[in-house]
Amino acid sequence: MSATRPMGATHTAEQFDDPVQQREAATLGMWTFISTEILFFGVLFAGYTLCRVRFAEAFAEGSRHTDLLLGSMETAVLLISSCLVAVSVREVQLGGRRVASWLIAGTALLGCTFLTMHGFEYVSEYHEGLIPFLRYTQTGPHSVPMQMFFCLYYFITGFHSLHVAIGVGVLVIMGRRTHRGDFDQDYHTPLEMTALYWHLVDIVWIFVFPLMYLVGRSG
Amino acid sequence: MSARTHRSGPKPPSLTANLLVLAALLVLLALTVGSAFLRLGPGNVAANLGIAGLKAALVLIFYMRLKTDTPLFRIVACVGFAWLAVLIALALADLLTRPA
Repeated sequence: MSATRPMGATHTAEQFDDPVQQREAATLGMWTFISTEILFFGVLFAGYTLCRVRFAEAFAEGSRHTDLLLGSMETAVLLISSCLVAVSVREVQLGGRRVASWLIAGTALLGCTFLTMHGFEYVSEYHEGLIPFLRYTQTGPHSVPMQMFFCLYYFITGFHSLHVAIGVGVLVIMGRRTHRGDFDQDYHTPLEMTALYWHLVDIVWIFVFPLMYLVGRSG
Repeated sequence: MSARTHRSGPKPPSLTANLLVLAALLVLLALTVGSAFLRLGPGNVAANLGIAGLKAALVLIFYMRLKTDTPLFRIVACVGFAWLAVLIALALADLLTRPA
């Protein structure tokens, strides 16, 4: 491979005319993946909707068992991390590589913070006896259908946390590559795609939060 | 042919715009938590989902750059949500129209 290829053509695969076409193809692929992810979580949300219509009272009671303070803080952490990664892409586009790698590291750190806080929630729910099939000690008129709420809660938040964990791993790689100087104004598609994925994780949580933590709080 | 690079792509939003979006998202978070404690009946669900939709739209439009990027991406993004809407609407139509 020659090191004297024209600027901007260095990273262009041979099937593409130019970097812009390559970036558009990659971004289109990422958006297609995001659409499938929307449907993946969508099925769980659809199941949630049906069960909530059917067992409204049990869902309200189940939701009151969740930790609203931790949930709100987790939401804020993810929203801030989304802003950080958006600014990091901007920095790379403007040539600020050093700042960008710190911003990406900050994003990954916030992702870890989110996972830790959620871990604490799971532990306290275990002690409270709220995990169906593992440790479920609830009694009362809604205790049986309330298991439905908690099954969906663990499925949805569990898959979401898995996505966060994968995102943190990819962000660490992107942070290292940015620091090493792999990305500049002319080529930063992998970082841009990672940012899109991270925003998707944020959007999923934006819907998880009111559906899991805020039901029946006024009752 | 002049070389097209990423520099000729969509311009990134300003730092101020990014921070304003974050501020809006955090205010909306406070609003949604606050509204959950008001006795609004069905209005609680509407407020929670409305605010969540608004927050998602802010992230999609500004952070994910749907506003400035190629229109094709806007279509693909809408398609995912459109199918989800069909899924939930038809499932609910079934459930809500069954005799008790």
